[in-house]
Amino acid sequence: MKTMIEVKNLSKRYGENIALSHVSFSVGENTVVGFLGPNGAGKSTTMNIITGYISASEGSVSIGGHNTLDEPNEAKKLIGYMPEMPPLYADMTVKEYLNFVYELKKVKLSREKHLREICALSRITDVYNRLIANLSKGYRQRVGLAQALVGNPPVLILDEPTVGLDPKQIIEVRNLIRNLGKNHTVILSSHILPEVQAVADRIMIINRGRLVADGTPYELEHGSEKNGEQKLTVHMEGDPKEIKRAIQSIHGVTRVTNDGLREPGVYEYEIDGSAKTDLRRPLFGIASKRGWPILSEESSALSLEDVFLRLTGSTYLSDNADQYFERKGNKK
Amino acid sequence: MSAIAKKEFRSYFLSPIGYVFSGAMLLLFGFFYMEVLAMQSSDYIPMIYASVFSWLMMFLLPLITMRTFSEEIRTKSDQGLLTAPVGVFSIVMGKFLAAFYLFTVSLVATLIPAVVISFMGSPDWPKIFCTFIGALLCGAALIAIGNFISSLTQSQLVAAVATFGVLMFLFLIGNIASSISIDWIKNVFNWISFDARYQPFTNGILNLSSLVYFISIAAVFIFLTARKLESRRWS
Repeated sequence: MKTMIEVKNLSKRYGENIALSHVSFSVGENTVVGFLGPNGAGKSTTMNIITGYISASEGSVSIGGHNTLDEPNEAKKLIGYMPEMPPLYADMTVKEYLNFVYELKKVKLSREKHLREICALSRITDVYNRLIANLSKGYRQRVGLAQALVGNPPVLILDEPTVGLDPKQIIEVRNLIRNLGKNHTVILSSHILPEVQAVADRIMIINRGRLVADGTPYELEHGSEKNGEQKLTVHMEGDPKEIKRAIQSIHGVTRVTNDGLREPGVYEYEIDGSAKTDLRRPLFGIASKRGWPILSEESSALSLEDVFLRLTGSTYLSDNADQYFERKGNKK
Repeated sequence: MSAIAKKEFRSYFLSPIGYVFSGAMLLLFGFFYMEVLAMQSSDYIPMIYASVFSWLMMFLLPLITMRTFSEEIRTKSDQGLLTAPVGVFSIVMGKFLAAFYLFTVSLVATLIPAVVISFMGSPDWPKIFCTFIGALLCGAALIAIGNFISSLTQSQLVAAVATFGVLMFLFLIGNIASSISIDWIKNVFNWISFDARYQPFTNGILNLSSLVYFISIAAVFIFLTARKLESRRWS
């Protein structure tokens, strides 16, 4: 497989601050890579360096064999970039803007046909003649995506492409990225795990400017399963102290935490245990003997979420506490 | 380069700026042409360009250069330009050409009254053209300076006020020179003074050193703007 993106020993310092520290990776053709990390971890910095918007303090980037410093225009021709804040001009219509981008990138494809295809792909055909200033955030985001697709570049760098979209649009964009991944190299960043999980063939976790994990979602999940852990989330009605004590007495349970009240009289418990024994049956046994109704039970091998939390430490929880809990809420 | 120049030129007329600039220019020149009519001699036409031009430029040019780069930096749309397969020099030249084109078109339009007058009288066309060339070159230098100042800040307002200040300095430094008794300072001030450089053109003299001066200033500031954009990548 041909290497499309080659990043070697990339560092970026802002005075005393180290934004990126010795990051190296390479990405082959037709792969979707998810950049994952808490806010301020260095995702955007990495993307900005790859696309040539800012330069690295150290290290090199080459795109399709072209070094971004030696042959910037050759490298940039291969990249479609959608920055965190799409580079739009509010006083232009979508049509004018896309035509401008078309000319700016010196695209050789048939203009009418190409732009029509892009609009259909990013679903902005119905706002084609409207002023960008009057578009909603979701539409602007999609115009930003369309702009990256102009010229059909083989490498797409998308910085948080689904921010500001409604759930239906998010699914559409994810499908689009998955389809693009069949014949493009895509790097997308996100701090939302399920998103990356849904589209990426490969996940890189960045924390505090360092690459802390790199692998397929499967590898990342099962890398931790080797430790032989399992996790169970249950909702049970009854006296929390007694329930906790009873669960703890089950053979194989290593830790029980009470996550708080969920309904009147119902608490959520998180049970960690060894993967060797199935905890669900003894749990049911105890619950039925004592008359504690189990209202819900969810078992998960160590999820990517846990891997992520573990790798990025407590910063993730404090930075994104709201999002984190919101997602946990959705699961139920 | 042409894509950016085209887009910039259009954007002048998507906002009121282009209309205000051209309109104000035509209005003020029109007023002074009226004076010419009152004095009933077409000889006064080059004098309009000699006296009004510098003041007009001081007030109006910041209007068309203030947003060229500061607005892009503020809205982060410069990310689109700098990651496109075009060099910084093309970006800067594109923006410069758009402003210069707007300026040229407006300036050419101010000649319409002169053409009308030529049906009735016989204006000194060579002198008018010489003045016109001086005005174009002077304008090019001023636009390059304005664009450079715009690349230094995110705020259009700061760019406009700073450009106004610098242009005022460049035009008025000649007046300061006349009241200075130390010779070498006086010479330096006169050498810098845009007014002193521009005046020979209005007398019908195609002064080579002034010509080179204006072109050099434009080139230097276009170069500095490109460097400034490039340096943003490193900070």
